[in-house]
Amino acid sequence: MGDILSLVAKRLGYGVITLLVISILIFFAVEALPGDIAEAVLGQSATPETVAAMREQLGLDRPAVIRYMEWLAGAVQLDFGVSLITGDPVSSAISQRFANTLFLAAYAAVIAVPISIILGVIVALLRNSIFDRVANVLTLTSISSPEFFLGYILILYLAVKTSMFPAIASLRGDMSFVDLLYRTFLPALTLVLVVTAHMMRMTRAAIINLLASPYIEMARLKGAPPWKVIVRHALPNAWAPIINVVALNLAYLITGVVLVEVVFVYPGIGQLLVDAVSKRDFPVVQACCLIFAATFILLNLAADVGAILTNPRLRHPK
Amino acid sequence: MSLFVIGYYALLIGASCLAAYFAKRSAFLLLFSLTLASFIMGIVGGVPALRAVTIAAATLALAAGTSYAFREFLVQILPEGISKEIKTAPLTAAFGMFVIFTYAIAGIFAPVIAPHGEAEVISSAFAPADENMLLGADQLGRDMFSRIVYGARNSVGLALVATSLAFIMGALGGLFAATKGGWLDQILGRAADVIMSVPSLIFALLMLSILGTSLWVIVVVVAVIYSPRVFRLTRAVAGNVVVMDYIEAARLRGEGTWYLIRKEILPNSTAPLIAEFGLEFCFVFLLIAGLSFLGLGIQPPTADWGSMVRENATLISFGDITPLIPAAAIALLTVAVNFVVDWMLYRSSGLKE
Amino acid sequence: MAEKKKEVLLKIKDLHIEGYSDEEWIEIVHGVDLTLHRGEVLGLIGESGAGKSTIGLAAMGFARDGCRISGGSIEFDGMELTTTPESALRALRGSRIAYVAQSAAASFNPAHKIIDQHTEAPIHYRIQKRVEAQEDAMQLYERLRLPNPHEIGFRYPHQVSGGQLQRAMTAMAMACRPDLIIFDEPTTALDVTTQIEVLAAIRDIVDQFNTAAIYITHDLAVVAQMADTIKVLLKGNEVEEAPTEQMLGSPKEDYTKSLWAVRSFQRKQKPRPKGKAAVPVVSVQDIDAAYGDVKVLKDVSFDIYAGMTVAVVGESGSGKSTTARCITGLLPPTKGKILFQGEELPASYKDRTKDQLRQAQMIYQMADTALNPKVKISDIIGRPAQFYSGLSGGELKSRVDELLDLIELDPSKFYNRYPPELSGGQKQRVGIARALAAEPTFIICDEVTSALDQLVAEGILKLLDRLQRELNLSYMFITHDLATVRSIADEVVVMRQGEVVEQGPKDKMFKPPHHPYTDLLLSSVPEMDPNWLTTLLEERGVDNVGEAANTGGKK
Repeated sequence: MGDILSLVAKRLGYGVITLLVISILIFFAVEALPGDIAEAVLGQSATPETVAAMREQLGLDRPAVIRYMEWLAGAVQLDFGVSLITGDPVSSAISQRFANTLFLAAYAAVIAVPISIILGVIVALLRNSIFDRVANVLTLTSISSPEFFLGYILILYLAVKTSMFPAIASLRGDMSFVDLLYRTFLPALTLVLVVTAHMMRMTRAAIINLLASPYIEMARLKGAPPWKVIVRHALPNAWAPIINVVALNLAYLITGVVLVEVVFVYPGIGQLLVDAVSKRDFPVVQACCLIFAATFILLNLAADVGAILTNPRLRHPK
Repeated sequence: MSLFVIGYYALLIGASCLAAYFAKRSAFLLLFSLTLASFIMGIVGGVPALRAVTIAAATLALAAGTSYAFREFLVQILPEGISKEIKTAPLTAAFGMFVIFTYAIAGIFAPVIAPHGEAEVISSAFAPADENMLLGADQLGRDMFSRIVYGARNSVGLALVATSLAFIMGALGGLFAATKGGWLDQILGRAADVIMSVPSLIFALLMLSILGTSLWVIVVVVAVIYSPRVFRLTRAVAGNVVVMDYIEAARLRGEGTWYLIRKEILPNSTAPLIAEFGLEFCFVFLLIAGLSFLGLGIQPPTADWGSMVRENATLISFGDITPLIPAAAIALLTVAVNFVVDWMLYRSSGLKE
Repeated sequence: MAEKKKEVLLKIKDLHIEGYSDEEWIEIVHGVDLTLHRGEVLGLIGESGAGKSTIGLAAMGFARDGCRISGGSIEFDGMELTTTPESALRALRGSRIAYVAQSAAASFNPAHKIIDQHTEAPIHYRIQKRVEAQEDAMQLYERLRLPNPHEIGFRYPHQVSGGQLQRAMTAMAMACRPDLIIFDEPTTALDVTTQIEVLAAIRDIVDQFNTAAIYITHDLAVVAQMADTIKVLLKGNEVEEAPTEQMLGSPKEDYTKSLWAVRSFQRKQKPRPKGKAAVPVVSVQDIDAAYGDVKVLKDVSFDIYAGMTVAVVGESGSGKSTTARCITGLLPPTKGKILFQGEELPASYKDRTKDQLRQAQMIYQMADTALNPKVKISDIIGRPAQFYSGLSGGELKSRVDELLDLIELDPSKFYNRYPPELSGGQKQRVGIARALAAEPTFIICDEVTSALDQLVAEGILKLLDRLQRELNLSYMFITHDLATVRSIADEVVVMRQGEVVEQGPKDKMFKPPHHPYTDLLLSSVPEMDPNWLTTLLEERGVDNVGEAANTGGKK
């Protein structure tokens, strides 16, 4: 087991280093602004006094490296500084919205993961049949459509024309859980459509790849019935690819959520990021980017660790 | 039961029986499952649902017909080597080629095709379609159709430039990393890992918020974000070629790196790289469309599909499909490219076995 | 061998099989008949693409994805398999007909213990309870002389060596005591010393349980040990069938005779040149080499003189190819040096001069990967001439023509063709021409004939010999095939686990007394005599072959 622990530890360490490099990238990209943050934010309304005041407030007279260390130390404790526009702490603006985003992503994932894995396996078993071809065309069409296209189609047909669901996903604190699910159904469905297509294709590819292995042929030549071939011989080896597929697509959900939030005016972190970008509120932009990147890296890490833990060669070393 | 409904089911069931009689298994399965699905849809959605199915089926049939004719057209006009390949293309791929061809024509001859200029205000805001304006007017009273046509030039053109840049950077990096190995390989590989561990849209938003949204910034940022994908693929493909004995023979002859890449590796990597160019284009195109939709892409008044969706989005709440048209234009091209790429990948994987 | 009952077990008649490629069905087996009696072993032999495996699987009523049985009948013990429903066929597989695949490492499921895979079929068919089945498995392991028979089954496949896995798979096939076992090249992936123990084990167990078997292979000497009857196939057609003794003694068809013609080619051994010419062309002196931290060569030394052929022999992992990589400079040695005509060569090929690179050329085992499929033959051969001698235009063309003549390929036909359009032997000739184009004095031949069919290989050996005489070339001949060594070598270097075990002139090496390892290697190569294995086992004892003897011989 020593091998496997050191492999996992190595992978975790690598993830931490990547995150560190990205934090440097995020922080110093802003430093690379022409002029400095103060001038960039104040823009045309800048007078020497206001610029100086803002520099003072942001502590821009100190070296960038020290400010980075402070920023990073703060970020680790979930303190991302103060918004340049509102003056409120960034973390307070983010926390509720991040929770909303996670809720939406989880909502979509709970629907999409089981459906797509089951459909993916079915399509893999029916490969080269007419259903496989139709599924291929449908999934290709779905992953080729921009999220806002799917979103607006759903709004048009399910909200405007038939009024089955609300078009705008406004949230209030006192809503019941069922009401919450109802109001956020359309954005969740949009994400489900895109992610299911991706996940189905990847599951299908992984299963077909597996079914081509000589040991599957051997199992069939030993007279194992088809369900046993799948359950006993294919599935134990399929965990790694399936975990990989799920993690990658959850990571994809996190990105896809930005566009969907904008379409449905959903109060999530993606919407916040887009607003901050257009207002050039850099502390908020930095914080959002770091959170997105961290989530993304974490999910990829989970995929790798999952693959290591389910690999029989690593679990039972020589 | 209207005449339409009776005719609808009669046609479906008749066609199913014919397919069964002539032992066309897949056609029968498809037709009959459609029949069964129609029973449910007919009960739930009534006649309009069945009408929608009919329209969809007719559209599909039309698209299939066009694709078939276009494939035959290509087979006739192209030289023998290529036409033999194209004969094996499924209808989806032919459809993809047809769409790409149409877009290319629209993009190249945009000023000739478009009846009005892309920034020309000719009517009131959101004016409905008339014989002058095929698709009506947008939020400033500009001709929607003309802007869609110009969009083919602007949006696709920008994505093509960015893809090409990403491709050149990634492919060259991958080829050199595979051939040289050692520290160059390590450094490029790590850099690619870092860039790929940030979600692409987030990375683009960060960079554009800092660097502004001029065209060349978009091109460079998008190219940097997507070059690691090309890098990884090229590195893998070239990595498989580099271990071949003929590369060893060339190295032992004393050949330089550039000769190895140009004469020995590249000719053996073209098929997967062309397919990757198509895939990469889809990613880049969707990313730029997303950025434009968020207001960070091509700036007005230049016609661009992503921004057009955003500008006309309010119409959706009145049940108007105008904002869906540019979005559909984006989706259609991406689907088309994906269809062609899917066929190419299938072919190259089939040849491997 | 035991008395066999003459009851027909399997009868295949006019079997046609089609394969799907390039959007159409193409027939790959064109009407083969086959009759197998209970307890009889039939050897199916043929080159790659002869359809042996496909026929073997068809005997189980099975066709791989992309293949289909398109005609004929397969009758197993009174059951017509081509019309039997899939579920009934499935009930035969594993219980009455079993299969042993070529690569045991890939055919065992990595996720389950070996014994669990062994007991799967008996439990499924309710022949035995789990504990009984495990007991039985252990007895079979013991019977097959696997080390630690009571423990080995509880390991995972990747924890067991290739030869042992292959025996474990044979045991697994035996689990339900089937009437028929299909052996599909079970020893092809193994070294000769390991092969012998697997062969002994298979033969022993088939004899003991009086099981009928179809033994598929491309190796004549192997099939001669195993089969009662041999059937020769060529491109999906039957060439001839006869009892083993008769087939070996007096084959009828020309194709079979050509297969049987064992290395008729043999060359006289040359002595080392004396006097002034006595500086070796290549001298390997005390080299060590390592891949990362893993040491793969230790104190390797030998000399190669002008106009002579030195054969380097050993099994996989013996370091023979690594030695070649050290000489060419692809893997700089960690210790020792390599002299070329008395002068030390820089360790890495990157530091060598163009002329040093030109003098030493290489010919590869797999002509498929040695020639760039996207480059014309004329350019493949022309490039070294252009690169080293600066030839171009008409001069280059006449040089390429000259080289093509030299390797007996018609220039007008081959000049503009690409490697994939050529046969295996032609490709190998082009590889030779590319080496010659540099006008070298020394050529490393890395297993150049092992991927070729016998007759073609012989042609290549003759060509190499003629070129050596005409151009006074020195060869380093890397091979695991002792027949090749016998026919072409002047001197022999035997390697094992990165060290030189023994070296000397060929005539001396092939006569006893041998170093124990050389002896093992020599005796493990199957011979065309059907009694060879029996005799060998009697001489050495069953526990003194293969891995057991291999570790015993270690000093």
